[in-house]
Amino acid sequence: MITVAYSDPLVPPEWIRAHGLRPRRLRAASVARSPSASLTGLCPYAGAFADRSAAPDLDAVIFTTACDQMRRVFEIAREAPRPAFLLNVPSTWQTRAVHAHYRSEIERLGRFLESLGGSSPTGEALAAEMLRYDERRRRLRDLAGRLSPRAFARVIARHHETGEVGGEDPGPTAGPGAVPLALVGGPLLLDDLFLFDLVEERGARVVLDGTDTGLRTLPAPYDRRLLGRDPFGQLLASWFGVIPTVHQRPNALLYRWLAERFAETPVKGILLRRYVWCDLWHVEEERLREWTGLPVLALDEGAEGRARERMVQRLEAFLEMLA
Amino acid sequence: MSPRPRRIRLEDWTRRYAELRAAGLSEPSYGGPLERHVLDGDLRLPKLLYDDSPAALRLWNFLLTEEDRLQAARAEGKKLVGAMKDLGTVPVMAWSLPGVVAFYPDGAWWIPCVMELSAGLLAVADRLGVDESFCPVRAMLGAFLTEAHYPIPDLLTCNAGAVCDDFSAIAQRLAGLGHPVLWWESPHRRRPDPGEEAVELPGGFTAPRGHVALVREELARIREALGRLAGLPLTDERLAEGIRAANRVRRVLRELRDLAYTADPCPLPALEMLIAEMLALHFCSDREEALAVLGELLGEVRGRVAEGTGVLDPGAARIFWVNPVADLSAMNLLEDCGGRVCGTDYLFSHALDEIPGDLEPLEALARMAVADPMTGSAADRAERICRDAARFGAEAVLVSRIPGASHCATEGRIIGDAVDRSLGLPVLEIEVPPLIDSVRAGISGRMEALVETVRRRRRA
Ligand code: SF4
Ligand code: SF4
Repeated sequence: MITVAYSDPLVPPEWIRAHGLRPRRLRAASVARSPSASLTGLCPYAGAFADRSAAPDLDAVIFTTACDQMRRVFEIAREAPRPAFLLNVPSTWQTRAVHAHYRSEIERLGRFLESLGGSSPTGEALAAEMLRYDERRRRLRDLAGRLSPRAFARVIARHHETGEVGGEDPGPTAGPGAVPLALVGGPLLLDDLFLFDLVEERGARVVLDGTDTGLRTLPAPYDRRLLGRDPFGQLLASWFGVIPTVHQRPNALLYRWLAERFAETPVKGILLRRYVWCDLWHVEEERLREWTGLPVLALDEGAEGRARERMVQRLEAFLEMLA
Repeated sequence: MSPRPRRIRLEDWTRRYAELRAAGLSEPSYGGPLERHVLDGDLRLPKLLYDDSPAALRLWNFLLTEEDRLQAARAEGKKLVGAMKDLGTVPVMAWSLPGVVAFYPDGAWWIPCVMELSAGLLAVADRLGVDESFCPVRAMLGAFLTEAHYPIPDLLTCNAGAVCDDFSAIAQRLAGLGHPVLWWESPHRRRPDPGEEAVELPGGFTAPRGHVALVREELARIREALGRLAGLPLTDERLAEGIRAANRVRRVLRELRDLAYTADPCPLPALEMLIAEMLALHFCSDREEALAVLGELLGEVRGRVAEGTGVLDPGAARIFWVNPVADLSAMNLLEDCGGRVCGTDYLFSHALDEIPGDLEPLEALARMAVADPMTGSAADRAERICRDAARFGAEAVLVSRIPGASHCATEGRIIGDAVDRSLGLPVLEIEVPPLIDSVRAGISGRMEALVETVRRRRRA
């Protein structure tokens, strides 16, 4: 089956699947050995995604315009000998015009998928895929809080890769008096899962994963009553202007989501996952500090040699301070 | 024949100013000796070289008194519109309404250079968590917080969507600090797909009709907001007149660029040309005066070209310059190294093209906005750079990297490859920080090497 890779949460995998192709939301394992990730000024995550997307196990790749770095790295990535597509994702979401634009972009993506050998889905086929994904996402939401943070992060990572959910050992429960932390920011690398362990070893626990690869970026559940009538309309309604992202302008949905989560699950500190040169998350560090009044630690990831080592040292010091 | 025009230092301008006054120089209300701006804190001025014409004096005085004009406009009860990340669209609309003055808060970009960091704007940005990993436009945050460089506008608009992350992040920070922002969307410009309805844009590219339609709807929201602000509807007639006025400025600038970038010897220094180009974006808070200032500059350049005189020796290496510089003295430096600017892409080449006058006004403005080089690919931008570099007879291309800018990580290579492929010209990429003093020797060494390469190629 033709595999279509993407990274941005605004790409609906059921749309790809409904075309008879395999969606795969890629996560770079690390940025350390990626040549593009070390370009001065380039977000290492965007660079690593571009490099990874050129691998022969992928047949096509979808970039989005959600951030300038991804938009621009597409120009380099398209030089690789496999089809690449740039999905225009508006930053604003408040007007009919931008909703219509997203719709036309998803339609255009459909034509791209057809050009790869996919088939235009019937309404029933699309609705069936949407139901399948909706059900998996429901299970995913159910698992949150029942698995250890690391185990849950693995479940999500597997879901992104395969679309499937489950099959994970629940992992250890929180130790008594563990300091609750939120992890927010850009996408987690596969190699990042050790962070959850490190946090727990130091007497804290990540009780909220608000990163770009966490629950925050799941679409809204579909309205099953309307699904049969207008599945494509439902798809758009659950994806665009609903998923809180850092690139939205204003990014009020992101802060609303955080406010709701913090009200449900109070935290004592925030870990901000951000990549060097990622302006969109970088600028939120101080704002998060002002807005929550909580200590915030930026976990910077860069491609240069000792970046990770330094990050771990800073995290340890932060956890010590909170303990 | 008049004396040969020269580039002179600020202290020379003091003497020159006295001579011009004695000879009967008449000046606009904002005129006066240039050195007075140093007392206002513009500490970089003594380190720059200036064109010695009265037209250049007027240009500099006009530029350096913008804050006074904005304060005066506020005092007169005019409405101020801050048009952010929008190079040449909303200002055209705002200036179409009586009693509305548009300005360009992004212009704070240059304050750290002009005031040699003494204004502390970058320190304010640092405190807000916007450090040097962002482009120099972060100074804008400091300008808003200190309110020392322009009044807080009555309406703040910001282009969003296919814009740089730097600006998007900084404008969001500003909004988070309580400054309401009216965001308007620009999609990433792409070539129309086969069978997709296409629209021709000013500057020669095409875009899908849907993109233009989206921007047009966004501009309709801006039109409403401006009308509410002014208490007057922004009718098509008013907009059409605003477009005609903007086009008058653009036509003058086009002739100025054509002469200044092609005549040999070079009739006007690169620094004054950079400022002249900037005026066309936002009119420096007085559209009619901007036209007059550019008109006088054009008159000066016409005269010099007719007389065959210029500010540099004939035969200077002809360099096409890409991206604005955070430190204005970099423009002087190229000339000191034996080069001259012959063609530019300062990120807003779309704002140099005339706005189509034969279309419904909002459609014309939307097409112009969609033509913004920064909303498209670097490959498209490179294509236009190649076209313009060929038209101006460039012998090399210099890409000046903007520190921290999200577009600079990848565009230099794409532009460089395109120039090499289609023109076979040498390309130099340098990074220009807000003050180049500590890296001046390195930059000038690389500029000299580029100039030498051009000379060698001439001899070959
Ligand atoms: S981490 Fe930031 S810069 Fe990198 S791809 Fe994500 S949003 Fe873009
Ligand atoms: S210089 Fe570049 S990065 Fe900075 S605001 Fe302008 S377009 Fe954005």
